[in-house]
Amino acid sequence: MLLPIVFALLLAGGAVLAAQSSINGRLGAHTGVLESAWLTFAVGAVLTFLLMFFFEPSHEATLFSVPKWQLTGALFGVVYMLAIVFAVPRVGTAAATVAVISGQLLMSLLIDHFGWLNNAERALDGSRYLAMVLLLLAIVLIYLSHRRSARPAS
Amino acid sequence: MQHALILVGVLIAGMGLSVEAGLLGPLGEQVGHLSATLSIFMVGALLLSLALLFSPKRQLGALFKQPRWLLTGGVMGPIYVIILTLATPLVGVGMTMVGILRGQVAASLAIDHFGWLGSERRQVDGYRLGALAMILAALWLM
Repeated sequence: MLLPIVFALLLAGGAVLAAQSSINGRLGAHTGVLESAWLTFAVGAVLTFLLMFFFEPSHEATLFSVPKWQLTGALFGVVYMLAIVFAVPRVGTAAATVAVISGQLLMSLLIDHFGWLNNAERALDGSRYLAMVLLLLAIVLIYLSHRRSARPAS
Repeated sequence: MQHALILVGVLIAGMGLSVEAGLLGPLGEQVGHLSATLSIFMVGALLLSLALLFSPKRQLGALFKQPRWLLTGGVMGPIYVIILTLATPLVGVGMTMVGILRGQVAASLAIDHFGWLGSERRQVDGYRLGALAMILAALWLM
């Protein structure tokens, strides 16, 4: 009984991400890329702070005691948010989402293969190479779909 | 051609997102998932505040003239993190990512197809369904 609920929650979580891209892209088209990305991070920081303040169980380590390189994730998050806000009004939510997911999966294959970031090495095998090819093909298809739908309009 | 460049840029940004996730997972184990997430939003907000301060054409005021629902993008990040934190111990990382990605791709196609959330309508066609199938197949292969 628990599993279907968790899975429905996960689908909703994914849908929320797509909605966020769409809303931020729309906002960015009106106000500017930097403004939209800033609002997302600022509101996110306020909410997460409140949640952490009241609900986080205490841990031995704190953000101030871990090695500093572990705190650099935000740099990638900012670049991602700027790219999404810029791209969504221009190529659409689905194309941007497919490109992001393909990038994520390709990189996770590389991280596994080389064992970057203290992850266990998991070498690329036949099926993982095939997965990479499929991901690149997915991007090409989205691009083709876009070019076909853009042609009659222009 | 311009669209191809944009897609490549987004692809690279997606690669960065995996690096972020790779950093965030272990960090969350050590200091707590909400604290780890806070570090992302906090550092991001501070960096972007600086960038805005010195950007040649800033129009922060325009944010407050938008309809309120357009300002809710920032609420969704924390919702996503909470769902992730609740689900991962129950069903494992692999299942969690598959569920999230499915919801994400399906919702993004629906948003474009029906023009939800004020986005431009872009019909789902054979190419898009093909792309969806390839992502699902790739997920299964990994």
